[in-house]
Amino acid sequence: MAQITEAAHHEEEQNCTGIDNRKLLFWVFLSTDCLFFGALISTYMVYRGQSLVGPYPIDILDIPLTTISTFVLLCSSFAMVMALSATQKDDIKGIRIWLAATAIMGMVFIGFQIFEFWEFAHHGLLISTNLFGTTFFTLTGFHGAHVSLGIVWLWVLFILSFRGKVTSARALDVEICGLYWHFVDIVWIVIFTLIYLVGGFDAGPVITG
Amino acid sequence: MATIATKQSEGNTFSVIWSWITTVDHKRIGILYFVTAFIMFLVAGIEAGIMRMQLATPGGNLVSPDVYNQMFTMHGTTMVFFAIMPLNAAFFNYIIPLAIGARDVAFPRLNAFSYWTFLASVLFMNFGFIVGSVPDGGWFAYAPLSEQPYSSNQGMEFWSIGLMLAAVSSAVAGLNFVVTIVNLRAPGMTLMRMPVSVWMFFVVQILLAFAIPVIAVGLIELTMDRLFGTLFFVTSAGGDPVLWQHLFWIFGHPEVYILILPPMGIISDVLPAFAKKPLFGYPFIVFSGIAIGLMGWAVWSHHMFTVGLGPIAVSVFTITTMLIAVPTGVKIFNWIGTLWGGSIEYKSAMLFAVGFIAMFIIGGLSGVSHAVAPSDYQQQDTYYIIAHLHYVLFGGAILGIFSGIYFWFPKVTGKLLSEKLGKLHFWITFVGLNLTFFPMHYLGMNGMPRRIYTYATEFGWDNLNALSSFGYIVLFVSMLIFVYNIIKSYKSGEEAGHDPWDAPGLEWTITSPPPVYNFSELPVVEGRDPYWIVKRRAVAEGKEIPGPQPLVDPSTVHLPDPSYWPIFTSVALLILAIGFMIEIPVWFVKYPISVVGGLLVFVGVLAWSNEPPTKEKDH
Amino acid sequence: MQGMLFDVLIWVMAIVFVIVEFVLVYAAIKFRHKPGNPLPKQTHGNTTLEVAWTIIPTILILGLGVWSVQVLWDMEKPPVGSDPLEIVATGHQWWFEFNYPDAANGKSITTANELKIPVGRPVSLSLESDDVIHSFWVPKLAGKQDMVPTRENPLWFMADEEGYYYGQCAEYCGTQHAQMKFAVKAVSEEEYIKWVEGYGESPSLSTEAQLGQQLFAGKGQCITCHSSAGPDSEALVQARVNGFLSGSAIAPGPNLTDLATRDKFAAGIYDRNSENLKDWITNPDELKSGNYMSKLAQIYQTEDGNANLTESEVEALVEYLQSLK
Repeated sequence: MAQITEAAHHEEEQNCTGIDNRKLLFWVFLSTDCLFFGALISTYMVYRGQSLVGPYPIDILDIPLTTISTFVLLCSSFAMVMALSATQKDDIKGIRIWLAATAIMGMVFIGFQIFEFWEFAHHGLLISTNLFGTTFFTLTGFHGAHVSLGIVWLWVLFILSFRGKVTSARALDVEICGLYWHFVDIVWIVIFTLIYLVGGFDAGPVITG
Repeated sequence: MATIATKQSEGNTFSVIWSWITTVDHKRIGILYFVTAFIMFLVAGIEAGIMRMQLATPGGNLVSPDVYNQMFTMHGTTMVFFAIMPLNAAFFNYIIPLAIGARDVAFPRLNAFSYWTFLASVLFMNFGFIVGSVPDGGWFAYAPLSEQPYSSNQGMEFWSIGLMLAAVSSAVAGLNFVVTIVNLRAPGMTLMRMPVSVWMFFVVQILLAFAIPVIAVGLIELTMDRLFGTLFFVTSAGGDPVLWQHLFWIFGHPEVYILILPPMGIISDVLPAFAKKPLFGYPFIVFSGIAIGLMGWAVWSHHMFTVGLGPIAVSVFTITTMLIAVPTGVKIFNWIGTLWGGSIEYKSAMLFAVGFIAMFIIGGLSGVSHAVAPSDYQQQDTYYIIAHLHYVLFGGAILGIFSGIYFWFPKVTGKLLSEKLGKLHFWITFVGLNLTFFPMHYLGMNGMPRRIYTYATEFGWDNLNALSSFGYIVLFVSMLIFVYNIIKSYKSGEEAGHDPWDAPGLEWTITSPPPVYNFSELPVVEGRDPYWIVKRRAVAEGKEIPGPQPLVDPSTVHLPDPSYWPIFTSVALLILAIGFMIEIPVWFVKYPISVVGGLLVFVGVLAWSNEPPTKEKDH
Repeated sequence: MQGMLFDVLIWVMAIVFVIVEFVLVYAAIKFRHKPGNPLPKQTHGNTTLEVAWTIIPTILILGLGVWSVQVLWDMEKPPVGSDPLEIVATGHQWWFEFNYPDAANGKSITTANELKIPVGRPVSLSLESDDVIHSFWVPKLAGKQDMVPTRENPLWFMADEEGYYYGQCAEYCGTQHAQMKFAVKAVSEEEYIKWVEGYGESPSLSTEAQLGQQLFAGKGQCITCHSSAGPDSEALVQARVNGFLSGSAIAPGPNLTDLATRDKFAAGIYDRNSENLKDWITNPDELKSGNYMSKLAQIYQTEDGNANLTESEVEALVEYLQSLK
């Protein structure tokens, strides 16, 4: 009954807000990741000062050292901004340099973390030692996993840049990676502040009334 | 006419199966969700049956205490995560793009991935039955009971890791549908012109996106305690069992709105169609849905009234919980307002919609009595709560889902369900559910706690339990009638045509079943109830009522291509999950199979991002 | 106060139920389609009505809510100046431990599963747990509160009349949650004092009972988990708990010092008579499957789970237990 015809024309992909679907998806994803870290951070905060045995934060955290690695991570966010800017200008050399720089600084941060975990283990703090160990390693571990995934993502983009796949037309790919990277950075700032600066001087169980 | 739409299913068996495995078509994915979820609904129904047969008499010993405890754990978990949520998902998948005038969802491959991961979670958790390690911690798995040494077999890992897979599936789908609803609405379809069903689905996607990470963290912490010796809920190290409860219920309360809002949305579409007048107070219904979604975050500790939170916390949650009755009541009144002054045709879908309202009034009122904390101190953990939850979930969600099935089955299959069988199904279900669950109010108030595998005759609970168990048999019969109706009508039902109900939504402007591309021309929407506008104008102008959109050659439509990377990635995720059940210490790695699974996930994601959604076509 | 709130709540629910269901059913029937009916009026809503049915329920709900909160605060603590009897109730899998630091005249008592209290005096409980979450519920005397490990949850109530009030654990706690019952026995002041004074006083034992006593501490090794000669110190119970958690063949067991004053045993499920006790001691798993006594006690590690005791040894033990007043 109905005549089979050609489709009227190649329609524009429908988009009500003007925000690219992938960008919108990623922003919503980041808000869910906020809650994920929020729940992990809440667990840490609830258990602050509740460890029954040591080592306690004051015994073991090296705030100056971690401040350095934090600074490196912050710088990597700057490198990420430069990488996006280079992509938007089709500056292929710049793209590669800044993507690599971001990834390398991320790797330095992870390197510091691995060193830190090793040191703590040597000083008797394992994930099963006490509540501090449990919450510290879990929270920073999941953050580190996020950073590591980001590092892999950056290197993949780096490699793809050799195949001409990282161009201003596809700058969204780099922008989304950038969003992720900045997010991970901001989460670290929160974690660093709470664990190291606020909780870093905790010693022994808090005596409550 | 049917040939174009079903071209996908021609060819030999293997190519048909392959086309389903690699499908990214939201309609097929919706059907996959529906079939899987309905099977799991029946499985959970059998689990309920075992319990009801055991409790039919005092001192029953049909099954051992341990098996009974596994039954209520699996019944609850399956019904919530593997039946109602995915039944809702079936509607999200099938209906949302059609109702908003889109060709598919924003991320079709991600959509397929959600389904296959869901299937993986079903298989993973139920695998426990095969190896004799069935979860038995109750569907909310309170710590420390869910920890070692109190739950010593692997059952609770099947539970927690299985749920993590389900969580990934739902969270990812939530993101997908948010983008779909925000960005892919047809021209002219503003948010306030969307069908209420889509509005409720939209609120639910946002709830999913925010609630699931919280339970994910809880599940991760529980699993880490069990597998890696962490101390999250280990009381001897200072761990706090109440933290688990907070994490669970901060997810768990929005979860119940995730379960009920979609069926509320469904009946909000069904009622106007059969009352032949628009939904009464569309803005109020939409805003009350949004209010429920928002307020639902502020009530979670009403599940914890007896845990010892202190009178301040209990007072606050009493007030917030009572207040959430207000938007719920508004919806009920507005639905009644839709019926009022209408010209109601009682097709099966409508019977279920009205039945929903009647049953939800009961469930909602018993909920209000729970909100009153001093009253809850008696009701908590008794059969009164079981009565409440089944009135809202069976009398509410399930009846609403049946309403949706009867409403949209003709669109999906092109056939009508038998009205005679449908009415029979409705009335038997209605009687059955009231026989099964109403007595439970009394049982609870008479002191019968929940989750007990038996009871003694001296308490006087015998007769009501027997009545309730009899009600189960009635429900069982009603399900048989329904399944028979589905199968028979699918095979030889009456042709439905594109618009059997004279309904207002965009999905009725296309053929039944829809062509693979949904709309040959994306519609332009003039207002709420867009098809009514078009049809009524034609009648007023004395013109012919416009029929379904004419079909076009599908190869001329820009559609996403099938892909095997979604199922590949889901399988990889399943391997990752399975890896945690098999300990093979290798160097410092305890679960090497999980490492392999993780690498495969990485491969899948990489290949997937590398694959273009559609091959370039010349047209 | 609580009672009045409940009554009003039930009435409000009933009235709302009747009215709303009636209107629903009325509308559902009255506005049925009849052949030839024209298209009904396409009303989109009525803002006044909708605002009304938003505001009126809000006021009603808030009224009930505020009242509920008041009742909640009123019932928080026993009446001022009422000298409540303080008791620590500890949940275990699957029985209830009751400790009276000062039952009367400074005497401390540990008992299990039957909470004897004097009529007309408030009882102030501290609810605890040594393993998983349990819940203390005596429906006819009070609402429930959970027994959460790491917490000491308060609960108070008072029995106005003498009687035997059933209680049950009301939080799923594992295999035998269904058989974790207890009772509150409210007795006259005199009877209560009599029980307190008789507690732990060496009972007069027949020859057979003396044999049972020897078996209790000797071959049966019951004494590993059960005390029968006085109250348990916190340290003793903790030691048993720690032993259990570290995988040893030990677990906290009910204190049996006054077993013969209790109506039931095995956590409120079997009448305390010699025949039941004999069945229990012979093979507890048959009466309460999955319990820790059968799982852990050396004497039950036999092929069929029957105690490695002769029948007369079991009878001697029963005789001993029946003398524990």
